[in-house]
Amino acid sequence: MATLALNEKPKRSAFDARTLLRLGVTYIALAILDAMALFLVYAFASDGVWELAITVGVITLIVNVINLRGDLYPLRWISPALALMGLMVVFPIIYTVYVSLTNYGDGNLLTKQQVINRLAQEIYLPEGGKVYLWSLYQEGEGNFALWLTDENDGDNYYFATLGNFEAVDSIDPGADLPEVYQGYRQLSRGEALRASGEAQALVFGAAEAPIGIASRKQAGEFAQRYVFQPENDAVFDHELQSLFHANYETGQFENDEGNTLLTGFISGIGLENYIRFINSPALSGPLVRIFAWTIGFSLASVASTFCVGLLFALLLQNKRIPYRKAFRTLLIVPYAIPGLISVAIWKGMLNPNLGIIPNAFVSLGLEPPPFFIDPGWAKFGILMINLWLGYPYFMLVCSGALASIPSDMYEAAEVDGANWWDKFRSLTLPMLLVAVGPLLIASFTYNFNNFVLIETYDEGGPPMADAGVVPAGHTDILISFAFRLAFGGGRGADFGLASAITIIIFALVAGVTLLQFRVTKGWEETSENV
Amino acid sequence: MRIKRIALLIALVVMIAAPASAQDDALTIWADDTRAPILEELGAEFEAEFGVPVVVDELGFGDIRDQFKTAAPAGEGPDLIIGAHDWLGELAVNGLLAEIDVSDVADQFLPASLSAFVYEGVQYGLPYAAENVAFIRNADLVPENPETWDDVRSVSEQLIADGESTYGFIMFDNNPYHFFPLQTAFGGYVFGLTDEGYDPGDVGIDSDGSIAAAAYIEAYGSDGLMPSGIDYDVMHTMFESGDAAMIITGPWAIPRIEESGVNFVVAGIPAGPGGSGKPFLGVQGFMVSAFSENQLLAEAFLFDYIATNEAMASLYSADPRPPAFLETRDSLEDEVMLGFVAAGTEGLAMPAIPEMSSVWTAWGGAMELVRTGELSAEEAFSNAGEQIRALIEGE
Repeated sequence: MATLALNEKPKRSAFDARTLLRLGVTYIALAILDAMALFLVYAFASDGVWELAITVGVITLIVNVINLRGDLYPLRWISPALALMGLMVVFPIIYTVYVSLTNYGDGNLLTKQQVINRLAQEIYLPEGGKVYLWSLYQEGEGNFALWLTDENDGDNYYFATLGNFEAVDSIDPGADLPEVYQGYRQLSRGEALRASGEAQALVFGAAEAPIGIASRKQAGEFAQRYVFQPENDAVFDHELQSLFHANYETGQFENDEGNTLLTGFISGIGLENYIRFINSPALSGPLVRIFAWTIGFSLASVASTFCVGLLFALLLQNKRIPYRKAFRTLLIVPYAIPGLISVAIWKGMLNPNLGIIPNAFVSLGLEPPPFFIDPGWAKFGILMINLWLGYPYFMLVCSGALASIPSDMYEAAEVDGANWWDKFRSLTLPMLLVAVGPLLIASFTYNFNNFVLIETYDEGGPPMADAGVVPAGHTDILISFAFRLAFGGGRGADFGLASAITIIIFALVAGVTLLQFRVTKGWEETSENV
Repeated sequence: MRIKRIALLIALVVMIAAPASAQDDALTIWADDTRAPILEELGAEFEAEFGVPVVVDELGFGDIRDQFKTAAPAGEGPDLIIGAHDWLGELAVNGLLAEIDVSDVADQFLPASLSAFVYEGVQYGLPYAAENVAFIRNADLVPENPETWDDVRSVSEQLIADGESTYGFIMFDNNPYHFFPLQTAFGGYVFGLTDEGYDPGDVGIDSDGSIAAAAYIEAYGSDGLMPSGIDYDVMHTMFESGDAAMIITGPWAIPRIEESGVNFVVAGIPAGPGGSGKPFLGVQGFMVSAFSENQLLAEAFLFDYIATNEAMASLYSADPRPPAFLETRDSLEDEVMLGFVAAGTEGLAMPAIPEMSSVWTAWGGAMELVRTGELSAEEAFSNAGEQIRALIEGE
């Protein structure tokens, strides 16, 4: 077995106990993994979610190959990470790109086949068609028949079996229905209900005037209203006598007058969503301001959290400060409380009417700052909350990074006559940025898409008075604005447009991040020169 | 050896998956935790009589809609769901709901609650409760219910002048749902109402009545009768501490008001130049899945078991909201509930058309701009009307 190549022991016995054990563990682990994966594939496939079924299948296959082939053993230990990355990162990105090229959303939620099946349920009463009240009869355990009562015309009775229809004259109007008629037995209400699904699929009566069950009371000469014609790729509406062609640009069945049927289907519409977004008045309106605030918000959040975090880290590094550990623990508290709760508490504290902070201003005889009302104060409030939420992270990171700077460097600097500021500027900061630089970028990207903070603080408010035709708020960042644009639009959720906007934001963030990586390369060079 | 293992594996997978695909002729209902137990009882009766088992799956109320949208087309959804009528646009526009025929029970239901479940002229649901906001006053401070909004203003001025409370009537800064009754009292509307339901082509946010209502609130605020920065919690805290004497709120807030010990009375919305104040009705009810294979059974369950006074009364006792079933509605004795019923009698079903989702942000924003003094009532509501029209037309 190829896997034995892994065994670095000089003895190459295939029946070495440790090898056997390892093989056994590998196979059992793979078997469990495969069982779960196959179950998932089966479940996804039976739900019709083929793309996910295929993805899980392919990833599982790759993991199996990696773990069974000896020559791929370097990949073995990162295969779980690769598998998760494929499933949680690569697949969602590909799927988002795919959705952004479709009209998927409310009004176009079903596939074309599902729409056709749904339309096939619709029935109509052709002109002159008769409607009766029905009662279900059955011949032993076999064929069903319908007892029909025509209420319009006095009580006239009819009996419809599968293939035959006849008037019943032997029963007086108003009398109880016969328990048995022509060998058919009247079913009780419960029996009839249980059989109703089966009976509804049947066609009763003579071939020239077929009768079907339409509702819990009515049966009659109803007919299927919409019939799909594969040769025309169209649905024919028998009631309106009109042909509805599948229009793939709109994802609707449309007739020549431009009318559409019940609901649309998912259809690839190319770059339409991107074009819609680029042409939308949102772009000519508040988007520039929102973009500027998004960048400003992200930069200010990163800068403020980093500066305050670094300040605390530097202070706590100083051994002259008593109870350092206690302080450090307390300063981490904001990090330990779930962000949502912190934001909610801050929201309450800043409330202009009841909040403790505005009330403190009032009791000091000062005008309370209008936190949720004035755009500038709203932005200030958000940055303050984000500082509260974010500084412990940088405090922790900086403490670690500071500890790793060799102390002999400082000693050397002191010998050279460097003062406190020189040491910080030329030694501490460059060394620190090497370690913390990537985290600053990560923090920027995180804040760039910090939807939860904006949405829980004030949903992007206060509103811009001059936003134009698309409502926007002064504290809206791109992602919260895009959320409202995509889900507050004309017809409910528009996943296609939302995906397109997400891809655009993704491209923006990726671009900004690349730029930053280029800048931080300079920091790394510093460290190489030190 | 490897092939054997794989064969074993496949056998295992089949064993796990087989029971999951078993389906029987049960009627499946999705309901939230307050209503699920009642439906289980009714389901047991239904099974005893007709021999059809009823399975009640408990989901979070909001999850019902979202999961239904995925499960129903895949053929795994329930036969019946419990839900709010404002889901209708979203569900019906996707073709997920089956039409039901309510003609023989129509006269037993509050008409507005039935029409709430009509979308593009088709009846998609059977209502059981219709809830709405009402005008709530502190009876110690305001002994008589103000008849009109002018009375509300003068009562508030009096209360403040006499120093009896800090404020009289106060309301949300930016919540259109609570503002709508005032808007209708001045003759405003959101969407024009036709026989086919709400008309998305007729946006009424910038109608004269809507602007007049906004102007009332604008003047009310700028004359110092109400501070800005009021949200739901502030409004309630001020009312419950006696700092405010009148608010508009819904039945969900009653427990906290009762807890505060304030002597309160629930009554109809004061009238204005446009007639009585009409709150939005939020109607809850049952909807039948278009992908159900048991649609006749589902209808039988609805019409034989739900549309009865007993079932409606037990639903009411499990989750007290004003019933939509008239017999149950008329037999209410609870004063508070009767107050909400009185306020809701002329209520308007909250539009369930998908275009409604385009309305909230712009509408609430306009209110906030008026309250903060950023824009005049006319400017803010005219802008909002334009924004909503642009959104509906598809950006």
